[in-house]
Amino acid sequence: MKIFFITVFLFFIIGFSYSQIKDSTETKSVKISGYIKGEKEKPIEGANLVIEGTIDGSTSDNVGYFEFETERTGKRNLIVTAIDYSEKKIEIELTQGKDLQLNINLSKAIYTTDEITVTASSFTSGENSKVTLTPLEIVRIPGADADLYRAITTFPGSNQVDEGSRIAVRGGEPDEVLTILDQASLYNPFVFDNDNNMSSFSTVNPWGLKGINFSSGGFSAKFGNVLSAVLDLQTFDVPKSKAMFIILGLANAGISGVYANREGNFGATFSAGQVFLKPFLLINHSDAEYNPTPTASSLGGTLSYKLSKTGFIKLYADYNSDNIGIKSTSPTFDGFYSGKSKVFFTNLALSVTPTSVSLLNVSVSSSLFNRKFNYGIIDNNSDDIYGKIRSDFSMPITSKIDIGMGAEYEYSGYKSDGIYPMYFYNIALTAPKFSYSTNKNTGRFGAYAESRIRPHDNFYIIAGIRTDYHTLSQNFNFDPRLSVVYRLSKHSFLKGATGIYHQYATLQDYSLSFNNNLKPQQAIHYILGYEYNRDNDFILRIESYYKKYSNLVSNSTYGYLYGSDGEGFAKGADVFFKVRFKPKFNGWISYSYTDSKRKQYSTGSLQSSNYDITHNVSVVGTYNITDFLFAGITYHISTGKPYTPVNSSIFDSTQSAYIPLYAPFNSDRYPTYTRVDVNAQYVFSFFGKFAIVFLALNNILDNKNLYAYTYNSNYSQKIAIRSGNYRTIYFGIGFQL
Amino acid sequence: MKQKIIFLVLLAFLFSSFSIADDFSDAMFKAKKNLNSAINKNDEKALIKVRGEFERILQLKKDTWLVYYFISYTDYSIATTYMKDQVKDKIKKYNESAIEMINKSIEINSDFCDSYVLVMNLQFNRWMYEQDKMNDIIASSDLAAEKAKKLDPDNPRYHLTLGVSSYYTPEMFGGGVDKALESLNKSFDLFKTRKEKEEYYPDWGKEMVYGFLVLSYIKRDKEGDLAKAKEYLDKGNEAFPESGFLKGYVQKQYDEKVKDNK
Repeated sequence: MKIFFITVFLFFIIGFSYSQIKDSTETKSVKISGYIKGEKEKPIEGANLVIEGTIDGSTSDNVGYFEFETERTGKRNLIVTAIDYSEKKIEIELTQGKDLQLNINLSKAIYTTDEITVTASSFTSGENSKVTLTPLEIVRIPGADADLYRAITTFPGSNQVDEGSRIAVRGGEPDEVLTILDQASLYNPFVFDNDNNMSSFSTVNPWGLKGINFSSGGFSAKFGNVLSAVLDLQTFDVPKSKAMFIILGLANAGISGVYANREGNFGATFSAGQVFLKPFLLINHSDAEYNPTPTASSLGGTLSYKLSKTGFIKLYADYNSDNIGIKSTSPTFDGFYSGKSKVFFTNLALSVTPTSVSLLNVSVSSSLFNRKFNYGIIDNNSDDIYGKIRSDFSMPITSKIDIGMGAEYEYSGYKSDGIYPMYFYNIALTAPKFSYSTNKNTGRFGAYAESRIRPHDNFYIIAGIRTDYHTLSQNFNFDPRLSVVYRLSKHSFLKGATGIYHQYATLQDYSLSFNNNLKPQQAIHYILGYEYNRDNDFILRIESYYKKYSNLVSNSTYGYLYGSDGEGFAKGADVFFKVRFKPKFNGWISYSYTDSKRKQYSTGSLQSSNYDITHNVSVVGTYNITDFLFAGITYHISTGKPYTPVNSSIFDSTQSAYIPLYAPFNSDRYPTYTRVDVNAQYVFSFFGKFAIVFLALNNILDNKNLYAYTYNSNYSQKIAIRSGNYRTIYFGIGFQL
Repeated sequence: MKQKIIFLVLLAFLFSSFSIADDFSDAMFKAKKNLNSAINKNDEKALIKVRGEFERILQLKKDTWLVYYFISYTDYSIATTYMKDQVKDKIKKYNESAIEMINKSIEINSDFCDSYVLVMNLQFNRWMYEQDKMNDIIASSDLAAEKAKKLDPDNPRYHLTLGVSSYYTPEMFGGGVDKALESLNKSFDLFKTRKEKEEYYPDWGKEMVYGFLVLSYIKRDKEGDLAKAKEYLDKGNEAFPESGFLKGYVQKQYDEKVKDNK
């Protein structure tokens, strides 16, 4: 009996389910129709409508109209989707025989964070959808010699230092620019840096980068201990392919390789290079005398392991060295400047996603830099040691708010032994001298918290605060920062930023300070700008800025010892205009106006800063002549850099040397700087493999730009020292193995 | 007694599952048929409608990875319709949507060879609007090719994609027509014995093999190549009389070549 009832009950259930299906085919259907529209009542074609849990629905036509019939009844959810629009769920009541008319409006999908987070004063590259320059564009800029830093100097607001890779931004000093590589601070990414009349070259390979963000002001609270600009670089997580590439040029040779295992969870890269200028100098004219001829070596690579779908661990290591001897003339010494440097940098980075939406990055890095140089009686050997541990965490709180926070500890050590002239104006080998050694170190703790808020789909705010504690000077700083972006239309933005920025003086400065009593140097940034960016094919950016400096290192209080009573300002405007006509032409024009004055070190009062370059224009154009032949040209013109001339001199009979009497600091300028560079690349097959030949003609008009002035022994004659960048030809070949 | 009850309960569940499975198979089969017809006609509007059909099938919550695959393939086909006129913003819109959809499919089922074959094709399309991301395109495409080969080295669509890629890639960059013919002939042979797991699984590509064999022989144009091109064109037209690709594009290329050679 029981079995009978259960059986009947189950059949009843089965029968009921089946009858539901049967019934639905027999009931009278409901017709649902209407229009789907987007912004400004624009019809949406291809929008999909479906009753949740069924396949009843339709797709809108070219006037946004849709219609379909359903036999479902009662309260139902209608789901409406369309590419580029946010999904909409509408509750509808379906009654047999009663047709339904709907007019549905969809709103554009919220722009992804990537699209809008390009904040004021930022130039980006990599995989971001709103990049300013791509890695390919960077390596093809004529005159930039495939150097990321030199490429950046074609952006407004940044100037080359001595035609090399170091950059000075918006009237600031070069050491106010911080390079970050995967959270690590990269303090010495150059060879031939600070060498007499020699251009520095960067050691960062642009092809190894997945993201580049250069900010010339108003940057995030993430970045501490920097006054003017940040170059934030991210290397690729885990390589995706296998390849090997060799390059042979007139002045250098290199080999690089990338490996990824079959499973895609392990990868490695390596690169080795050697710079040898002899063949280059044989072909190109140079008045300079070298002994030894400049050479540089590099060796580096990465090892990466994927811990999960999104997590990985990566070890990055890089070694670079250089050696140079260049003849240089000064009033009391005519001989060779000799310099050598070596740097070893390593970074172990871990990236994990503790939850599906949060990201935690931790890294431990170190850098050992040794530099030796001598000129006349001056002989110096110094070591810079850095170690850093850093952690960053970010996660969304709601769909409109993200938070980020992090902490870092950085150890810096500076050791220097040297012989220096007793009198600065006499560096002859026989001149009186003294020995000086210093050994300083400090720690810096930093922490920040930041929130990215989107109160409205078109309005974006980044508000943050950071604090740092400097162990040597026992100073704290608190830096509130704010950046806003307002999207005026799909392609145009208003951007603004303000904030307080601090940078502790160098350990060299602390070693010459009164009782380590140097406050953190401070800059307050105010930036306002407009940008129109149409998919990176057309960019117009206009920005004005004002930077107010205080607590700059100065020796106007304690005599020869340093204090913190320096001050200054930098104000100006930057204009950037870029067009790209795919696939043939790509070009941009940058213009900067700068007015920068400082009271710093021994200037005494407010004077033009070293990089107060009033007008600066760069014009860059690259053209694809065929699919395999590319050419480009860069024109650069700028106001001459300020310098301090010698007005007269007094004879010091005890030294048998003249004492120069200087005019006010930076009271004169070098002549206008101009330069035209062209280059070309041709891609072809080399034994069935990809190959490229490249040709670069730098300073093609052989403009006689000045590096410095020197003087004869009694300073009565000013002698111009021409920049080492004469008209030069450089060529080479690169091929895949 | 207990066993009987369990049996009956299972029977009830089976009944309801079969009915969902039937809805799913029917809907998939119908949508796939409409997709093939729209592709043959190169009809963008019909393709957009088919996309909606597949999207609605997602509501059945069965084999969603396969449904995402077909949404992606439909988006890819829509992007292809804009290639003739080089409407780059539309190509980008649908190709990027296709990449998003196939990634969703792979996230659910990472062992389906055809998904990676489609990724190869989608990465190839990125050249149309993102030439500057050369490194990423090559790396992503190579990775997908490696996965596809590992999962099913005899997938004819994998070899077809390699062949098409070689056809368009200059010899100096590792492509060329000889390499294309090698892959296309292999794909042609594999299609002869290929049987898909279900009727509604992806089975595209046969007419493309015919078409690209014809185009490759025309391009190489060695002695006897034009005759081979004619042979494959006739066979293709016979097997796929509705194919817009064969009738509209390949036939025209062949006719022009014959005219030029006269």
